[in-house]
Amino acid sequence: MTVLVHGETPQLSARLVTAGARYLQGETFNILHTGDLPPETLNLYGGAGASTVYRISQELSAAGPAMIATTIAMTARETNSTAILLSSTKYGREIGPRVAEILQGSYSTECTQLEKTDSGIVVRRLVLGGAYQAKLLMAREPYVIGLQAIADVAGGAGQAPRVVELSAKVEAPRIELVEVQRPEASHVDLERADFIVGVGRGFKKKEDLALAEELAKVLGAEIGCSRPISGDLKWMSEDRHIGLSGKRVRPRTYLALGISGQVQHLVGIRDAKLIISVNIDPNAPIMSESDYAVVGDLYKIVPLLTEKLRERLGRR
Amino acid sequence: MPDIVVCLKQTVDIYQLKPHPETLEPQFSQAQSKISDFDLNALEEALRIREKHGGGRVVAVSAGPSVNQLLIREILAMGADEAHIISHPLMASADGYVTAKVLSKLISKAGRWDLILCGEASLDNSDYQTGPRLAEIFHLPHLAYVSRLEISERSIRAWKVMEDGVHVAECSLPAVVTVGLEINTPRLPSLLMIRAASKKPIHEYKLADLGLGEDDLKPYVQLLELKALKVERRRQKLEGTPEELASKLADIIVEEGLARR
Repeated sequence: MTVLVHGETPQLSARLVTAGARYLQGETFNILHTGDLPPETLNLYGGAGASTVYRISQELSAAGPAMIATTIAMTARETNSTAILLSSTKYGREIGPRVAEILQGSYSTECTQLEKTDSGIVVRRLVLGGAYQAKLLMAREPYVIGLQAIADVAGGAGQAPRVVELSAKVEAPRIELVEVQRPEASHVDLERADFIVGVGRGFKKKEDLALAEELAKVLGAEIGCSRPISGDLKWMSEDRHIGLSGKRVRPRTYLALGISGQVQHLVGIRDAKLIISVNIDPNAPIMSESDYAVVGDLYKIVPLLTEKLRERLGRR
Repeated sequence: MPDIVVCLKQTVDIYQLKPHPETLEPQFSQAQSKISDFDLNALEEALRIREKHGGGRVVAVSAGPSVNQLLIREILAMGADEAHIISHPLMASADGYVTAKVLSKLISKAGRWDLILCGEASLDNSDYQTGPRLAEIFHLPHLAYVSRLEISERSIRAWKVMEDGVHVAECSLPAVVTVGLEINTPRLPSLLMIRAASKKPIHEYKLADLGLGEDDLKPYVQLLELKALKVERRRQKLEGTPEELASKLADIIVEEGLARR
């Protein structure tokens, strides 16, 4: 089986190859790459285990998902790929359905496991607000799969992949990207954080988030939030949003401050090893989803906790 | 004055859903159905565009195993002008491919249109498929995860919420737009609107009316198993004065929370 891989960044493509190879052992993984291809990127691909890199020199992503989807479909056809691995990011979810529609293959996104069987590829994904796991049979080739690429890139120097230049003469409906309004905060990698302090509607004002930030600083933790904080209130940037339509995180510890625990948020923290919550409402759903649930006022508890931890941990 | 098609899905209300204690399968019969949350945002946005631009039709389409007429009446009461629906038992096993195919046929019955609006994902499956698939079927540009939309004579500008920030993008009409919860707050229909809606047309189709057969409803992706995920948490409730609680929490965090993996 030949697998064509395309993530929105080289890092994601490499992670998809590593994660894909774990489930589909012995298959050939090729990467579709657009834009410049510096040696370090080629090394990254080689280290991950890619056999061939198909390169299109133009940067297509700004023209929108239809352009890139059509290019992927075209390349998959030319390379006889039976599976196409995409990232389960927002970008991946815009292009995946189009690729499946063009190739008339089966499509599934946010897949957490893949298994090759005689009747197709069996995948698992969360549905119904993330509270249930569906086992699905993708019965028709090609299999277009959005994979949760949480694996690290398999390190080491692999064989340098072969590079094949493709010219993309693709016709597809375009969108024009006018501007990207980046949040002022620097990029956070919540998916890899060991300790996350999550903030929710229990905070009454944006300024009060400083309480959580102080605590996070002492703990060396990252800050994440529930949807209202980044969405409706815009107190935090979207890259800190944990939940069904945001990030899925897997820290050692998740400390939920003023988070009620709607199912959409819970799905994002399901893989946390330890969940501790502080909430003033003893009936909040987060209480039964925590290992330790503190019933109390975060405005009183958090400053005291920060102080105690500062003493215990000997940090500023 | 753009004419707008809004795709709406009836889903189970996932917040009412409880797993069977032994099989862990969801007990669908014990939960009510509702219109998928994001789809109501799509409808609301269509109504606001119509109000702002002083005209244009808003047409609702829905396909499912048994589309509930009462819920369609609610959509009409909110302000949609007409509805085109199809119910077929095989839609219970529809995947994104089948759903988009059937919806595209319904949309073709809905007269002329400039814009298709959908929720970015459905409440039950969160597949994020219908919008981009319809865009591909009709060969149109698609703007996804939209939190703000501006529409002019022949083009639209959208604020797309992406992981790295907000992407402002434009495309020409006709187009497909999928919206998130942030874009608006859907209105609640008044009694007067509900009464007025009883006269609005609901067009119900059979498969053959859409040029489809039962073979067309065979999904490419089949559900093999559906089970509640059980993550057992210790559920220790801690109570006390803020001082006591902060001390206990500090202990827990130092002893368990900060341990390396």
